[in-house]
Amino acid sequence: MKRTMLMLTLLVLAGALVFAGGRSEAAPDRKIAAMATDVGGLGDQSFNDGAYQGLLLGAPYGFEARVVESNQQTDYIPNLSGLAEDGAEIVFAVGFLMEDAVKEAARMHPDTLFGGIDIGGDDDLPNFQGILYREEQSGYLAGVLAGLMTKEHASAIPRLRPEHNVVGAVLGMLVPPVERFEVGFIQGVKSVNPDATVLSVTAGSFVDQAAGREAALAMIEQGADIVFQAAGLTGLGAIQAADEEGVLAIGVDIDQNHVAPDAVLTSAIKKIPESVEVVLRSVAEGTFQGGTVSYGLAEDATGLAPFHGFDSMIPQEVKDALEAARQGILDGSIEIATSRSQIRHLID
Amino acid sequence: MFTLEFLTNLLAATVRLSTPITLAAIGATICERSGIVNIAMEGIMVVGAFFAAIVAYTTGNPWLGLLAGVLFGGVYSLLHAFATVTLHLDHVVSGAVMNVLAFGITRFLMVLIVGHPGTTPSIPRGLGRYRLSIPLLSDLPLIGRALFGQTPIVYMGFFLVAFLTWFLFKTKTGLHIRAAGEHPLALETIGVSVYKMRYLGVFISGLASGLAGAYLSIEANVSFTEGMSAGRGFIALAAMISGGWHPVGAFLASLFFGFADALQMRFQVLRVVNLPGELFIIFPYLVTVIAVAGLVRRSRPPRAVGKDFMIERSED
Repeated sequence: MKRTMLMLTLLVLAGALVFAGGRSEAAPDRKIAAMATDVGGLGDQSFNDGAYQGLLLGAPYGFEARVVESNQQTDYIPNLSGLAEDGAEIVFAVGFLMEDAVKEAARMHPDTLFGGIDIGGDDDLPNFQGILYREEQSGYLAGVLAGLMTKEHASAIPRLRPEHNVVGAVLGMLVPPVERFEVGFIQGVKSVNPDATVLSVTAGSFVDQAAGREAALAMIEQGADIVFQAAGLTGLGAIQAADEEGVLAIGVDIDQNHVAPDAVLTSAIKKIPESVEVVLRSVAEGTFQGGTVSYGLAEDATGLAPFHGFDSMIPQEVKDALEAARQGILDGSIEIATSRSQIRHLID
Repeated sequence: MFTLEFLTNLLAATVRLSTPITLAAIGATICERSGIVNIAMEGIMVVGAFFAAIVAYTTGNPWLGLLAGVLFGGVYSLLHAFATVTLHLDHVVSGAVMNVLAFGITRFLMVLIVGHPGTTPSIPRGLGRYRLSIPLLSDLPLIGRALFGQTPIVYMGFFLVAFLTWFLFKTKTGLHIRAAGEHPLALETIGVSVYKMRYLGVFISGLASGLAGAYLSIEANVSFTEGMSAGRGFIALAAMISGGWHPVGAFLASLFFGFADALQMRFQVLRVVNLPGELFIIFPYLVTVIAVAGLVRRSRPPRAVGKDFMIERSED
């Protein structure tokens, strides 16, 4: 009897788990735009969520969104292939960890279109479009802001500590997009404040809020008064630490002011949904092309979020410097390195 | 670099980082002393963290969240007790299922209650805001902030280490729990139910792991994130073993792991050695492996841990 009860309970729970992953079913006359998440899954407030929002933006072009979540890396190819075999018009792979899997799937299904967020394209794959972002540009602008505010204009915001010239960056894992954010940030700080110290901690996870908090606290102890986070959900802990300790934070990917309105100065933006929408529009209009597209300031895909409550406190001089940096990036007079090995002279 | 200020901060961070590990490890110690192997702390922590955050968010009261985290941790652990004691399933298999199930349940409930997976909205006020600095003592150099300038659940951790040590070694129930793990037949012979003692042992570890989860979601942070336990339940398992199945030993081992973690972050911040961050991250885990390998020989598990105990009964 008890065994039967246990079996029933387990069955119900197992059923619940199966259906938890389900999403809307497409009507037969609709085109399907699909995506397979990486292991982070939906709810990461980063590229997986961004890509899903992008799929939803495809509705005006007649697309129905469908998502399959990957529990482990070995799910990537089956998930991507499964979506292609289900008749999806285009299948997105999300996150650079899926690079090999999506290219393999694209070779296996030459009649289906594929897209890849944070993945570079290949010349011999006409049905695959890789989408990369210029994270270093957002990081650079965040760095210019942090570099100017931490010392020179520290009196403008009560939360800043004029006695120190230190800012910090909390990183999730050192994957290429995160590295571009960090490297851009360091260059931005140093471009306006060469004497500043830029601290950096890699937390080793994108979901460990407690580690993000401790990493930020370790920096704040050393005098950091602006903490930039490029750490996904781990970074929420970093923002929380900055708020608790009465200093400032800079968010990432989306406008994160809502996380802690008193602490989040701005956010280094990466507009994934809009770029997915651009791809879907090109599919609907029949202008889809393989290869790599790169989204940056020129496409309004990178940059800084609004300052919200801090807008009136940030001196015009700083805003002018940010605008100058923006123009410099746009006209090519400011070149930003994208990997740590290129900026050894700034780090060591 | 190693100023007094630095060391004071380092010790405070050590205690903060070790608290969830301590709680899970001392609970697991009680559980294994009763004869049930428990590798499910990771999953129980996730369940505790989730319910603590959800209740704190919906009621706006973090203390109710704390209570919910502890209770749901306890209730969830009863599934392990039911599977291992009543149904006589293998303890490790049940524990593994508990861990996987916890991630599935919380994801399902996230979608159901919050409307999306990932992370819950921020709770209005976390327990981290209730910092209790004991006057004078918290100003002591080095240990002041670490021991007397902390937040509620950290103090509860200190208290529970002392309380559970007393409970396990100085009370009759504690003796019965230990007997259930050493020689269950002898215990049954004197008329004490081994099943009950083992249920109690598992339940206590569930409450403690639930509290560890609540610490992560509503004291160290202000929201629940799926998978936020990030391996701490397994580190707690190592702490329990290196601590020789004794609450104080488990506490000291947890402090050691917390110290390793606090230290590696400061090594990254100060760039003591110029190495990639990833190499520092493995430091606490490396220390864990060495500690377990080095200390495990000297510690002896309860004699009947992991062994099934079945009472012969007439058909009812």
